[in-house]
Amino acid sequence: MTLSATSLDEQHARFQTLVLPHLDRLLRFAQRRTASTGDAEDAVQDTCIKAWISFADLRDADKARPWLYRILRSVLSDVSEKSERRRQLVDITRLEQAHEELVGGDTDVVFSEVAARLDSEMLSRALSLIPEDFATAVELHDIDGFKYHEIAEIAGIPIGTVMSRISRGRRLLAGTIVANRKAWGIGTPDGSRPGIRHRLGSDRSTQ
Amino acid sequence: MSDLHMNFGLQPHDRPNDDDAREARHQVLATLLGAYADGELPPETVSQIDAHLLGCAPCRREVELHNVVRSRLSREPLLAVSTALRDRIIAELARVRSSVTANVTMAPPARWQSSRAWITGAVLIVAIAAGFGATRVMRAVATPHPATVSVDVATVPLFADVLDDFHRVTSSDLPGRARDLDAVRAAVPFPVQPLHTTGASLLAAWSTDLRGEPAAVLAYRWRDRLVLEYLVAEPVFFRHPGVRAPIAAGATITAKAGSQGIVAWAAPESGVFLIGDVSPTELMALRVGGTGR
Repeated sequence: MTLSATSLDEQHARFQTLVLPHLDRLLRFAQRRTASTGDAEDAVQDTCIKAWISFADLRDADKARPWLYRILRSVLSDVSEKSERRRQLVDITRLEQAHEELVGGDTDVVFSEVAARLDSEMLSRALSLIPEDFATAVELHDIDGFKYHEIAEIAGIPIGTVMSRISRGRRLLAGTIVANRKAWGIGTPDGSRPGIRHRLGSDRSTQ
Repeated sequence: MSDLHMNFGLQPHDRPNDDDAREARHQVLATLLGAYADGELPPETVSQIDAHLLGCAPCRREVELHNVVRSRLSREPLLAVSTALRDRIIAELARVRSSVTANVTMAPPARWQSSRAWITGAVLIVAIAAGFGATRVMRAVATPHPATVSVDVATVPLFADVLDDFHRVTSSDLPGRARDLDAVRAAVPFPVQPLHTTGASLLAAWSTDLRGEPAAVLAYRWRDRLVLEYLVAEPVFFRHPGVRAPIAAGATITAKAGSQGIVAWAAPESGVFLIGDVSPTELMALRVGGTGR
């Protein structure tokens, strides 16, 4: 605590410049991991306070966003994000099987059409049904736009693990969507039957 | 990505009827196709996968699946942070900042504190010699008024645990007696010394757990209210940055949750919390009137 009031002012201004532009993204990430918008907002506020307290730890301004996500994940772990999500997990084997049928050509589901009709609520539901570690890796890349090496930094895992989590996470997510498409009312474009011809991949003749 | 420069045994001309070999390659590829679709693989590996995909429809479908999922997720809209939340965060940051500023002002370095003591002594002598105000000056010197930093109970887990335990304990009979103090001292790895503030009487003492670590609890009757004092070991107290930063600045931490006030400070080998249905300001009076721990 040797800072003068002036340097504190400067630091505070710099902090706000680096942090406030990311609040929207932090809130979106937190919202999918908390029971209510209020809880998500509290988590984002706690993240900002913790970030301010440990602002000296941020050596590179270009890394502000992954640094904030790392703090947010720590805050969220304190509010039992995992227990909330894991209570809802479905049978992984079932999801893997749905995925295998999808890429193996054993189903006539048009996955791209099913995915296109997913609304945000269904997508959040699907993400909540796969294991947290996989969902986080997929979300950080596909929604929040982080590169693999940044995700490795945020999650504190090797880049090879990021790779496998994203790969398997997307497969499980696709399996979840396919397995729940009827229940969510997104089976077919006209709603008359669960699927039409397979259209994932260019052809089936080369199998 | 140098760790990805590996030969996965992929051949440009896979034999479609070689099911076992293809299945084995699929297993190897399973963790790579996502990174391939995302453009995160080195050129050498990309070339191998390109060649494999020419003859393998399931792997092509797998790549397309990755593209479809990523494309759909990338269209997720941002949640706009409300003006109220933004203002709340800015206000909270300003409050935390002003606390730090106050600490900078109120907690001068030890060298200055030493000089201040010398100067205070000189002032005291002058005041006595002048024959007025000596008693007031002496009281002011003897009674410290530490700087305070207010925290949100929810942001510091140990504060939240103290509050929860206070609610639990005060909802029924107190779990210990005053004569249990020696047993409590034996049960925890840090010194336990009751407050000796005038008007505060020790009612009970017991040991408990806070965040899985041993804690001592002393119950006092003070101004006809029940006040609990929690003591935890130094490493437990200093675990959270929301505690470390104010304490490092020489401050006493205060918090308020409903009708409960909390004050916390560092003591030798331990951290101390006072909590009761009184304001933090009153609890500060109980603290500074105590042993000065």
